[in-house]
Formats: sequence, structure tokens, C-alpha cells
Amino acid sequence: MGDPIRAGVRRLFRLAVRRDADLREELDDELRFHLEERTAQFIARGLSPEAARREALQRLGAPYEVARAQLLRSARRKDRHLALGEWWSGASLDLRQTIRGLAQRPLFTSVAVVTLALGIGANTSIFSAVDALLLRSLPFNHPAALVDIAQMAPLDATQGGSQDAPWSYPKFMTFRAAQRSLADVALDQSEWLILGGQQPERISGERVSARFLTTLGVPVVLGHDFPADMDAHPGAAPVALISNSLWQRRFNARPDAIGALIRLDSVAYQVIGVLPSSFRGLSGTADVLVPVTALRDADLGPWDLTFAMIGRLKPGGTVADADRDAQRVAAIVYQASPMNAQALTTGPAMPWSAAVTSLNSVRVASAMRTSLLVLFAAVALVLLIACVNLANLLLGRAAVRRQEIAIRLAIGAGRGRLVRLLLCESLVLAGLGGIASMAVALVGTRLLQRLNPANALAAQGLNGKLGVVGFDTIRLDPRAFGFTLVVTLVVALLFGLMPALQATRPALTHALTEGGAAGRTSLRMGASRRMLVVAEVALALILLIGSGLMLQSLQHIIAVDPGFRSADLLTMRLTVVPGSHSRESMPGFYDELTQKLAAVPGVDHVALGDCPPLNGGCNGTIMTFVDRPASIGNNAMIGVHWVTPNWFAALQVPLRRGRMFNADDRAGAPRSVLINEAAAQKYWPHENPIGSKIRIYQGGFDQGATVVGVVGNVRFGLIDSTAAPDAFIPFAQSPRADMVIFLRGRGHPSALISSARRAIHDVAPDDPVYDVETMDQRVDQASGQARFSTLLLAAFAGVAMLLAVIGVYGVMAFGVAQRQREIGIRMALGAEQRGVVSMIVAEGVRLVLWGIGLGGVAALLLTRYLAGQLYDVRPADPATYLFVSIGLFLAAAAASWLPARRASRIAPTEALRRG
Amino acid sequence: MRLLKGTLDILVLKTLSWSAKHGVEIITWLEERSGGQLAVDDGALYQALHRLEERGMVAADWGVTANNRRARYYRLTATGRTYLRAESSSLMNYAQTLLTILGSRPGHG
Repeated sequence: MGDPIRAGVRRLFRLAVRRDADLREELDDELRFHLEERTAQFIARGLSPEAARREALQRLGAPYEVARAQLLRSARRKDRHLALGEWWSGASLDLRQTIRGLAQRPLFTSVAVVTLALGIGANTSIFSAVDALLLRSLPFNHPAALVDIAQMAPLDATQGGSQDAPWSYPKFMTFRAAQRSLADVALDQSEWLILGGQQPERISGERVSARFLTTLGVPVVLGHDFPADMDAHPGAAPVALISNSLWQRRFNARPDAIGALIRLDSVAYQVIGVLPSSFRGLSGTADVLVPVTALRDADLGPWDLTFAMIGRLKPGGTVADADRDAQRVAAIVYQASPMNAQALTTGPAMPWSAAVTSLNSVRVASAMRTSLLVLFAAVALVLLIACVNLANLLLGRAAVRRQEIAIRLAIGAGRGRLVRLLLCESLVLAGLGGIASMAVALVGTRLLQRLNPANALAAQGLNGKLGVVGFDTIRLDPRAFGFTLVVTLVVALLFGLMPALQATRPALTHALTEGGAAGRTSLRMGASRRMLVVAEVALALILLIGSGLMLQSLQHIIAVDPGFRSADLLTMRLTVVPGSHSRESMPGFYDELTQKLAAVPGVDHVALGDCPPLNGGCNGTIMTFVDRPASIGNNAMIGVHWVTPNWFAALQVPLRRGRMFNADDRAGAPRSVLINEAAAQKYWPHENPIGSKIRIYQGGFDQGATVVGVVGNVRFGLIDSTAAPDAFIPFAQSPRADMVIFLRGRGHPSALISSARRAIHDVAPDDPVYDVETMDQRVDQASGQARFSTLLLAAFAGVAMLLAVIGVYGVMAFGVAQRQREIGIRMALGAEQRGVVSMIVAEGVRLVLWGIGLGGVAALLLTRYLAGQLYDVRPADPATYLFVSIGLFLAAAAASWLPARRASRIAPTEALRRG
Repeated sequence: MRLLKGTLDILVLKTLSWSAKHGVEIITWLEERSGGQLAVDDGALYQALHRLEERGMVAADWGVTANNRRARYYRLTATGRTYLRAESSSLMNYAQTLLTILGSRPGHG
């Protein structure tokens, strides 16, 4: 049976041809009879034979061939219609029969439907996540032509390589003027703004260049877009486009919102337009768009790298062309504003470059992409195993029914007709499962949506460049329904076709002559069932190994020492409304705030820092060494953190060398700096850093500062990335407006929230407090994605293992039931119970070993794709393979032992009688 | 006399209402009953039979004539009988109305 489908098609075709020949023959017979009878009639009425014949033909319609062709046409139409009707009534009969049959076996039916509902529903849920995050086209006009343009910064003079960097306004202007491959380019930067009013509100906004909306192809629904020359030079009129939601919320959707003034960060902006409700900027959350050039000049320097650049390809242009052009333009951009060579020690400054990629390719971080695809593959495997199990159940049933089937075949039922009857069963089961799966998918997508880990994703560096693509866009839409439909049909064929073909294989005589005993048909059926068992054990092993690796990785991630003690810590962010306090008054303001907070009962330590640990990355800059001959390379990158002296005590970060900050490190005193161990190792590998003079090009520390101590490494970036070189500078020597407040207290830190909020409100009633989280929550979030995909994968693997074990049990139990008579004879002849059991178990074990062998090889090939997801675990970790294989082996062996033991307990006489 | 459109089907059904007949029997019966007044093309009859078969009003089987010849016999199905009953009474009403109107003279009724 080399090519069963084609042969089947050919047979069908031949059948149709035969049918038409029959039809023609029938018509010709009828017409011949008609003509003869009519001619005879006319002769009887007195016509000559020739005239009578002519008259008969005449009445039928002349010429004869035309009349015949016409009749053939109507006969064919009739036949087609009748054939269809026959098929329909046959199918509806099958359907009724199937439903009756399923209703008679409620246990089988409900197990099958629930299995399918869970399997298909889980697949649909993961599909809708994959669709929302990876597939669905971006909600902009002609998104395929949109590109992301990244500036490429040289990483390290010693190591080479480069990394994505944002753009600055002057660099953008140079780029735009020089580029030739893009129809439009635009700048974008999202940030939080304080919207003034009776109730100041913290809203998300984006600073954009003039042709931002044109680039994306988004129109305004009211008013007009920014003027085209708005970004020509700094100091643009403060105008704003507002989101539909803000328009409804603040202006009750009144048209006179155009021209109204709103206060953003204490600056009055005039509303000039309203955005469509479907559009909230690239972040997907923006309530206002304001001009880039409304920023202070101080934020618009060539090295204020804070903007993303997007562009739209010219019609017919390709990403590759644009990339080449961008590299050319990047050289011009760099020439226009090279690195300030004096700020650096020495060496040729390394030029920056640029890279163009399709906007769609940066929609989510690649780790997220991999993780979703891994989950998708895993959930598909689970469904596949469920199908295998159902196929097994149906095969078992087909074996039971084979006498009935053989009789039907013998009395002339076509094999196609029987296959249809048997397929009908799997279609009905799959259909019911598919319908029930919608409920599962509804719950599943809700859960995924709810997950929406905006903070957690940032903490893991998993945010794509487009906030508009996120978990909150996961939904059950027509695409998901289409997916469900296709999966349901495929599943029905997967688990139904093989048993149906198998059961109707024309080997009637065996089944008929041998009655209920195991004949050749059942042997073959046994072989395919055994094959299915091997397959499902193999599939389950792949999933178990994958999830085993991920679990180990998660364990390592959780065990990571982040460099501080997170228990009993509460963090909250305070944004000081710009303009409400002067920069110089900040220390005084924060002193007052700190004292108030320290007075809150239960609070032991109050500390300030600019950026919480595990934030997914903080601010950083370049450091140079005052008293060192310039040789180390020109970019000594270092993270910069503003902290109060007790920050280290509050977070319990240990001192390794030198001293901590103290009250003497105040404004006017010589500037002091603490560095972490990573910085000490990297930049002072063979010497004592204490006392070294350095310049840090931020916060006024480019004037020179002294390293006074070395502290332990704190992970500010991702939990699974090693600590980078960091420097800490005293808040008192470099005051800032926005700080994170760290409270260490007694008891559960969340109990402090309301009293802390009240204390802050007393000092700063207008300044919003947000991001209130315990440090433990932040730590959890930092491993959130790993936890999420690992636990989901582990759940899938668990289900897979359960299904596989059930499958082994089912096949063994069925095989034993069929061999009852043989077992009876063996025992009657004196075989020991132990011997019988081990004979049967050995058979099961052989299958399981085959499955484990094949699955192990497949896992070796497949787990390579997990490498990027694993922290401190090798994809081919032998311990995991061994441990998981042994576990699966034991479970499956137990599943084949149970039926064996039961069989051996039955008295031989009983077994013989039953067989 | 030409047949009015759509009436052939009902006449064929009527013909079959007592017993199954083959094509020649149907046509002969129609000719006899109409006293030779109806001109039915034999070809049109077979098309009507195909149409009725397609609509499930008649069914066809091969049978043997009195002279022991093989012929295709048509018989009325339950659907066909129901249809015949409904359609013939509405046709009769229609014909009655036509008669009343066409037969009336000015001044009467």
C-alpha cells in the first residue's frame, strides 16, 4: 500500500466514470424500448413500418442525437442530485448511529471530549498569545513598510561588538536630511507626564517629531496634525495631540477641546488634535503626543540619546537597501557630532553606526519569541499525545467491533461507507471537544491577558520596542476560532483515520471464522497500537526532558543571590512635579520627607536611590581615570546610582573595602564614590581602587571624585545576567528630583504602605507616588517570565506523562484481556503466577524502552532550541535525561504491571471459560 | 392543443396515481384521456420524468412488461402523492375561476 491516498482517489474517479457509463446505458435501453413500442403502436394505427418509425423519432424530438443529449443532461442532473441526497441521508444515519453509540458509553465519551477540550483549548490559548505577540499585523497603516532604525554603539574598545542605542534630536535631524531610502522618518520617546488639574494625574505620553503620524499612516479624527516645520529647531510652540480616551475623560468628547490648554509637567500645552481611539502611540498607552522640540535645549544635545527612530520605506524599497543607506548616513551623523575626545582618555574614538530592521521584527524581545514558540510546540505535543491515546481507545473498540464490521463488509457495505461511519465517530467527538474547548480557551486567554506583566517584562529586559504589542492584546478573535476549527478537523483525522482504515481492512474471513479469538487482524491491530504507545512515550519524554531542564534553570534563577536582602523591604517611586521645587531645594525636601517616613511606626530604615535593583537596567555612562596613563581603552562603561548613605544598610549590601558614605559626604565636600566589586575587578584588576581619582560624566562628577570604598555586587539589570560595573554617588552631592524610596520595616512591608503614603502626602501633597511594590514582589517579577513558561511547560509535561502512562496501561490491559485464554492455558499447564506477570510486563517494558530511546534522541535534537532559555543548565544535561527517563520508565512499567497482575490472579478455569 | 407551462408534471403524476407505468404507457394514457387533444412531445415527457425523479416525486425501477420485455417503470412516491393532491385541487380551483370569469356575460354577476 505504497500510496494509499492516490490509489483511493483513483478508485473514486473510476467509480464516477463507471457510474456515468451505467447512466448512459440505462437511458439508451429506455429509449430503444420506447421507440420500438411506439413504432409498433403506430403500425397498429395503420402506418407503414417506415412511417411509424419516423413518427416515433419525430415525437421524441428531432434530430435523435440532440434529443438524446438533452435527455442525458437531465438524467445526469437528476443522478447527481440523488447521489448527494443518498450521501446526506447516509451521513445523517451514521450521525444518529454514532450519537446513539456515544450516548451508550458516557464514560468513554466524556473522557474523550474532556481530553480534547483541554488539549484544543490549551492550543487555542497559546495560539492566541502567539498570534497577538508574534503574528498579528501591527495596528498601523501598511505595517510591512515600517522599519526600526537603531543607532549602533561600539560596545567596548577592547572587545569590539556593538549594541542598540537610542538617538538624539540633532543626530536625527542630520540623519533625516542625509537619508535617501525612506519616505518618512520620525522620533519617538515615551515618558510619564503629570497632567495638571484639580486632580493631578500621571499619564503616559510620547515626545515625537513632526511627521510621526504620517510615518505610521495614522490620521487625526479632530483638529489637525503637528505642523510640518514643528521640529525644524528647538523651542517649538507647546502644542499637543490627545488620545481619544483623554478627550472623552477630560473634555467629554466636546469639539471645543481643540484650542483648550492642558498642563503637562507644569507647562501649558494647547490641544490641536484628537487621535483615533485605536491609536495610543508606539507604547500603546500614550494619552498625549507632544513635540520633541518642546523639550528644554539641555535635553536636545547630540549625546542626549533617548529617542527611538522609526521610518517608512519608499514604495518598492527593501529593508536591506534601507540598512545599507543607514550605514552610509550613520558615518555622516557621527562626523557631525563625534564623541568628545577630551572627555575620554585616549585612542581613536570608535565611530557609531546604524542598523535598519523591519518594525515587525522588534515587536517583542527574542527571548519572549523563543519562549512562546517553545510553549506552542509543547502544547501541540500534548495534543498529539492525547490524539494518540484516543486513537488507541478507538483501535481497541474497533477490535471489539470487528465482527460486526466484518459482517457489514461481507454483506456488501463499501469500505468507504464503513470508514465514513467510523470517522463520523471521531468527527463527532472532536467536534464536541472543539466546542467545549472554547470555554477552556476563554479561560486560558483571560489568564494570559491578566498576566500582562508590563513591569515584570521590563525587569527581565523582555519588552520589545513596541509597547503596542503586549499580553493585553491577547484575545479570542475570528483568527483564533479559525485555528480551533482547523485543529479540530486535523485532530479528528489524526485519531480517527488510522483506526478506521485498520478496522475495515478487508480480512473478513479471519474475523468471521475465528470468532472472538485473536486472529491475524487483531495481531496487526496490536502492532499499530504498540507503535502508538512507543510514539506517545517518546513524545512525553521530549516534554519531560524539556521541562526538567527548564525547572532546573528556574531553580538556579531563584537561587541567584541578587546582592541584597529583599525581605521586609518596601519600594515606591516619587515623581516631583517639575517646577514645584528647585533642584537645589531637593536635599532639604527629601530630608524632610525622610524624617517623616522614619517616624512612621514600624519603619527601621528609610533610604533613597534613583533606581531599584532588578529593574532590567538603570542609568549608566562613561568613566575616566584621572591619574592613569591613558591606555585601558576609551569607553570605561559604568552604571551610575544616586543613593543616600543608609541605602546600603537598608538593602543590606555588604562593604568589601574602604568605607561607606556618611554624613560628611555632603554638598561642598570633596566628591566621593563607592564602586562595586565588578567595577573593582574590571577596572582595578591588580591594584587597590581606594583613593583612586576618577571622572564620571554625570551629575557633576566629571569634575573628579575619589573612590572611597568597594561594596558587594547588586544586580540592577536582569536576574540572570551577571552584575555589571557600578558606581554609587551620594545623593547629597548631586541632588535629583525623582527618587525611589526604600523602607525597611518590621512585619510585612505591605502593612506600611498606607501610613507611608500619608506621610508623603503631608510633605508633598501634589507629587504622585506610584510603583509601590515590596522588594520581594520585584524579585518575583524578575523571574516571572521564567517562572511562567517553566511552570506552563511543566504542567504540559505532567499531562503528557499522565496520558502516556494511561496509554501504556490501556494497551496492556487490552492485550491481556485478549490473551486471557492463552494465560489460562499457561497457568493450567503449571506456569507460575510470577512467570506470567513478568512475561507480560516484559512486553510492556520493551515498548517503553523503545519510546524512551527514540524520545531521548529526539530530545537531544530539540532541546538545543531551549538553550537561550536556560540559565546555568546545558541542554544536553545528562543528569536530567537519566533522571527523567528513569521516572517515566518506572511509571510506565507500573502501568503494565497492573493489568498483568490482575490477569494472573484469575483462576485458569475462569480464564478458559471467559476466553 | 398545447400544454400550459407546468401542467405536464401534474398530469404525469396523475397518470401514475393508480399504478406504476413505463414511458409509453404514460404517453398513451394521456393521449387517450385527452381524446387525442393534448400534444405531448415524447422527449418532453422523459425530461419531466427526470425532473420529478430529481425532486423525489417519482421513483424508477426496471421491470418486465406483459410481453416479457424489460422496461423502466415509474411510480409515485409519498412526496409525489402529497404534491399531486395539493396541486390538483389548487389547479381545479384556478380552472373553475377562469371558467366563471371567461364564461360570464355582460350584465350578469
